[in-house]
Amino acid sequence: MKEITNKYLIAALLLGLVFHGSAIFFTLESTYDALIHLFFADHYANSWFEPWNYEWYTGFSVMSYPPLVHQSIGILSLIGGLKFGMFAVAIIAILLFITGVYRFALLMTSNKTVAGYAALLAVFSSSFVETLHIFGQLPSIIGISVLMHSLPEIYLWLKTGKLWYLATSLSLIAVTVTSHHVTPIFGMVFFIFPLIGMVIMDVSRDQVSSMKEVTFKVFLNSFLKLFKRIVSFGMLSLVLIIGCILPYWINSKANPITQVPIPHGSRDNFLEILSSGLVFFLIPWGVLLILLPYIFYRYYSKRYLFFGLSITILTVLGTGGTTPIPLKVLGETAFNILTLDRFTLWASIMSLPILGEFAYRFVEGDLKELIQSKFGAIYHRIIGGVLAGLFVFMFIFTMSLGYFRPSQPQKIKMLPIVNFLNQDDHDKWRFLTLGFGDQMAWLSAQTNAMTVDGNYHSARRLPELTTRPIERLENSKFKGVAGIGSLQQFLTTPEKYNLKYIFSNDKFYDPILYFCGWQRLRQLENGIMVWERLNIPPVSSILPKDKIPQWLKLHWGIIPFLTVLIAFILNIQMLLVNALKTRIKALPDFLKYPLPYNKFSSGVLKITHIWSFFLAALVCYGIYLLYLKNDSQRSPENAVISYYDALDFKEFNKAYQLIHPASNLSIAQYMLEVSVTDGLLSSYAKMNAIETEITNYNDSTAFAKVITEWITPLENIEKIDYRKLSRLNGKWYLHPEDLNSDLPPDQLYSDNVTKYYNQGRRRITTEQTHHEDVLKQPVLEVVSAKLVKYDGHYAIIGHVQNIDNVPADVILKGTLYNDENKELATYNAKYHVKHKLMPKESSSFRINFEGIAWSKTEDSIPDTFNPDEFTPVEFEEQPTKFNLQVAGNVSGSDLYKNMVLSEIQVGTESVSGVIFNSGIQEITIPQLLITYYDKDQNMVWVDHLFVKAGIRQQRKQAFDYKILDGGAVEVINDDMKNIFVNGLPNEAIAKKIVQNRIEDHMKSHLIKVNDPYFGYIKIEMNSYIGSPN
Amino acid sequence: MKKKLTYLLLSVLILISCLVLAQMSTSNSYMNGLNLEATYEVGSDIVLKFSKVAGESPLIYLTSSYGSTVLSPEEKDNEIWYRLPSNISDKIGVVRWKCLSEGDELTGKFTLEPINTVASLETYIGPPSIEAGGTDYTMMVVIPTDSLDNPLPQNTLVNVQHQFLEVEESEEVATKHLIAFQNLYSKRESGRMLVSSSCLGEDSKEFSINVAAAIPVDFSISAHRPHHYADGNQITTFSTSIIRDKHDNVVSDGTYVNFLIANADGNTLSSSGTTLSGIATAKMIHPEKAETWRVTAMIDGIAESNSVVLDYEQVIEDFELTFSDHNRALTVGPLQSFMGQMIPDGLQVKLFIYKDDQLLEIIPKTSVEGYVIFYLEEDIYKNGDYRFQIQAAGMDKKIDNIKLW
Repeated sequence: MKEITNKYLIAALLLGLVFHGSAIFFTLESTYDALIHLFFADHYANSWFEPWNYEWYTGFSVMSYPPLVHQSIGILSLIGGLKFGMFAVAIIAILLFITGVYRFALLMTSNKTVAGYAALLAVFSSSFVETLHIFGQLPSIIGISVLMHSLPEIYLWLKTGKLWYLATSLSLIAVTVTSHHVTPIFGMVFFIFPLIGMVIMDVSRDQVSSMKEVTFKVFLNSFLKLFKRIVSFGMLSLVLIIGCILPYWINSKANPITQVPIPHGSRDNFLEILSSGLVFFLIPWGVLLILLPYIFYRYYSKRYLFFGLSITILTVLGTGGTTPIPLKVLGETAFNILTLDRFTLWASIMSLPILGEFAYRFVEGDLKELIQSKFGAIYHRIIGGVLAGLFVFMFIFTMSLGYFRPSQPQKIKMLPIVNFLNQDDHDKWRFLTLGFGDQMAWLSAQTNAMTVDGNYHSARRLPELTTRPIERLENSKFKGVAGIGSLQQFLTTPEKYNLKYIFSNDKFYDPILYFCGWQRLRQLENGIMVWERLNIPPVSSILPKDKIPQWLKLHWGIIPFLTVLIAFILNIQMLLVNALKTRIKALPDFLKYPLPYNKFSSGVLKITHIWSFFLAALVCYGIYLLYLKNDSQRSPENAVISYYDALDFKEFNKAYQLIHPASNLSIAQYMLEVSVTDGLLSSYAKMNAIETEITNYNDSTAFAKVITEWITPLENIEKIDYRKLSRLNGKWYLHPEDLNSDLPPDQLYSDNVTKYYNQGRRRITTEQTHHEDVLKQPVLEVVSAKLVKYDGHYAIIGHVQNIDNVPADVILKGTLYNDENKELATYNAKYHVKHKLMPKESSSFRINFEGIAWSKTEDSIPDTFNPDEFTPVEFEEQPTKFNLQVAGNVSGSDLYKNMVLSEIQVGTESVSGVIFNSGIQEITIPQLLITYYDKDQNMVWVDHLFVKAGIRQQRKQAFDYKILDGGAVEVINDDMKNIFVNGLPNEAIAKKIVQNRIEDHMKSHLIKVNDPYFGYIKIEMNSYIGSPN
Repeated sequence: MKKKLTYLLLSVLILISCLVLAQMSTSNSYMNGLNLEATYEVGSDIVLKFSKVAGESPLIYLTSSYGSTVLSPEEKDNEIWYRLPSNISDKIGVVRWKCLSEGDELTGKFTLEPINTVASLETYIGPPSIEAGGTDYTMMVVIPTDSLDNPLPQNTLVNVQHQFLEVEESEEVATKHLIAFQNLYSKRESGRMLVSSSCLGEDSKEFSINVAAAIPVDFSISAHRPHHYADGNQITTFSTSIIRDKHDNVVSDGTYVNFLIANADGNTLSSSGTTLSGIATAKMIHPEKAETWRVTAMIDGIAESNSVVLDYEQVIEDFELTFSDHNRALTVGPLQSFMGQMIPDGLQVKLFIYKDDQLLEIIPKTSVEGYVIFYLEEDIYKNGDYRFQIQAAGMDKKIDNIKLW
């Protein structure tokens, strides 16, 4: 028999290469995972044998992920750079996948044409497209592809017992193991076990004359006959799974994943969270969903019985939290660690041979004849068109997902950041990125500077990170309270991590940065804002690392590549023979069981029809529901919700469309009105929940009480609006809100301010601290300080003044001790202080002692977001003493002081008033610091209020502050002995500069309140200017 | 065979004893220093010469402040030379040496003296800013060094010069323990002090010290306003006199001054300003109702001003309320200012709505062109009797039993 080249396979390979090979250049870099692999590759390219990486998470071991793919990219990067390496490996992955599917399909169906169809369809299968172009899971793809390559070899070993096949199959298993650890473990269960079952079936079939005669007895006999081979293969592959990545297993034992599970969409209930259902169920299955009856019918035939069981389990596990089964099957731990989308991926890949078979039978086989004879040729053509159309649609839809719903922020030019870090020793400190998405990995790959964050959450080490369900600090705004809480901790005590620079690509974080004491340095040319924090020591030049034995390092560096080399040598001969057809080869054993494809079961056809109609109906209903939900003017609720959604996403044109036409508001006027409102709520808030209560509703008018919940970086805001709606021509419209008509007195006015500029280095020199350029630290004085306990938590409160002649950035660090002078807790002042003080300006302060929130896993994490959430440290012993370290540094930024308290009314439970902006900058977020005094005018507590709206120049803004009702404050210690300013004792400073302090001044600020516990309050003002001009 | 072995053994023994003898003979010999001096100048080529003796020349062990080393000998004619490496001969201090031969211990020491010319003046000064008044000071530290970076001998005279305002002073300081230092006290005036030093003809670069004003003393304030009416719109500006310290220096720019305003209700309003050439200004918007403000400025804990009392006259004496459209539209106004003109936009008017003595809602609105119009929606306020209260410009108006229909 002459060997013929399989045209379909060639076509599949060419198409796959042309299509995916060019598409990856537009998709891969914006996938979730690709850049992480690139970072690891960069590590190997620079230090092949040293597994310790200092750049992320204050150091972690790369032995926490199988190295093959990373090392391959690393090796290739030496030729043409990291990205070249990544794309080259991606192209290899594409080739491996297509050929792998071909070989798997050939093994399953014993028919080269069918296998060719399968390979061709695999190129465009939505699950592959999604895994490659949206998730970017290169190791996973290579793992499953090599596994598919190994399946025929395993079959042949089990069937023939030739040791050669044992060697080839094991060599391929080894490659799978070193490229992805999860694939061979589960692949063993879901692909190899059913394959063993199939081999036994085939052996049994050989002993009897027809498949029907294969009884359990025959099956058992064959099983016993093959037992030795099965066990030997099983044991040897187990040895490989453990041995090839032994350092990985040792590392995971040494650093067990003891972290709070990170929520993953694949564990959601797909019916509740439709987006997860789309991404993790609908897309990977794609057109296969229509063929499910056929797939199950085929896999439950006797020969494939075990594959039937396997695919059933995979399908069910892939449904995530939709059904309770996966949770029960996998158990709590595995369910929360594994991402369940891989099961769906494997199920869809397992279905590919059957899809190929179906296509073959539909296009040129018995199904075509059956349909044509039953329904006519035209029907066959229409159905063919519909199926092909659906297939293409799913493909295009999947490819375009990344375009319409980008999973990553816009591509950021890294060069300016890399240059910044290399400048002036900036890489001597750690940095943090905000709003970079997975591109932070690409930044890390390009610089030697270290970050406290990282992008491989299994390797996190700091308890501040592992105890929270967040992947990265970087995208903490999407992770609710836990995310912002974690971030706040890093921002408040950055000296603990030597964190000095923050690159912010998301304005959302600006207020929290400002109020935690950070200052803007400058905007880089790529639009990234650099924030810095003063008084941070550089990273020490010797950093701790986990000691890893030499042999493990050698193992990790050598074995993975060796497996590829061995697999290549062992399999190249077969490959060449197959590809070049140099000689006629005996038909492999698995080609001896072809199915005749002469009679398609009409029952299956019927069921497939019914199933398809059912699916179609479901889809139509879904679309109808979507229409009802999205028709913005169908009901008052819809109108309100779409209006607030539009405002949330800043789609002002869309919002304007919902404003009642009779209100005679032009779009220009509307935009003007919207654009003049700035502040925490309108510029830094993300709507979290919206609830509407339609209070009065008749045919033409409705009143809605709109309760909106907004997430801001500083706190949670609940807002209640009352909106009037009217119906016009069947559509509901909102009436515009009244505007504040406040008119400032001056058209043009002037203001004189003192501005400061710090030269930094006056001379261009790389000398680290040229001593003439070092400014004196401004002298601060702690006027009063005491340790108090209020409402269950301890705090150090007090009053600090800049008594120098230059503006100061103030950092306060408090430490609590017990009677035995044992240190109990230490923390910095967060936003209960004015971090920037002009000469002689003073500020009240409060230092909270925050613990690591939810550090105990049994503490349930609240679902609702509250960045203001506060977790006090749990003290084992009673704090009785405190130490306060104050550091001043000259700072010339954020010194806007033109906030005026212009009206005040003291009520029974609250204090309300008006703030007036008398300067020439627009105040984005006004903050009030409220200091409480007891009846004897002793300072007892400090609280704050963020005013929700900004204040434009020469305008007023009302506020309303509720007086605290947590009972009396207990003053524990007011001894001011252990207070140090810039390392010097506070007492000496107090004596030297302000010798005769006028104590009465404090009293003249006080406002009397009517409260059982507090006698007076003092209001100080601080402001965040979003865009200084 | 046995004989051969015995001869061999014997000859080996003889050889060994010869070697031992030879060794002993060297240890018995001794060397004489030829050119040993007590001091040398650093940087010069220093060779320790000894007379040649029989046998092997020993090594010499050297120790100095820089460290220790072993020198191997050079033999020249009948002398043994030990050449000092530059890392030792370039540093001043005592060098001790010792011959590494057994028996007689030949040891000695010599001192390396600095070259008495200054190559550079290592100068430090700090803190770079001090307070005027004569108590605060900055310290200048000068380390004159020679060309090999060695400090000059004790009591080398260093000239410290400084210029402040009209005064230029120069003072001689002797080095002690390798350094010379001088405390430079501030004068009564603030300003910039320029400092330099010189030693043996070599001059340092210029250093500058900022002498800032000391803490301020009490000052006075004044208020400027376009009119004395409480229109809630115009702005009153407060300014301080030039704020000075007790030595009459103007305080540093940027000094923060608090302006506290005690109003008629006994509450405290506040504004603030920072100084420019000693004068701080702060602004405050006029109240909306008649007020008496007592304004005091202070620099927290340090200095304060006199109090200024400002009276603001009521501008809106009365306003009208008109109901229309089934009593559902309530027009407040005209709100007229002191000359009868319409009050500038933005005056706040609050409407309190009561039904059956229950407060239903407070609606705040701001005036537009002298009027505020409240519209009571039929769907919210059902037909019936209501009671209203209107607050504007410090006035309260109540209207009982208005029927909405």
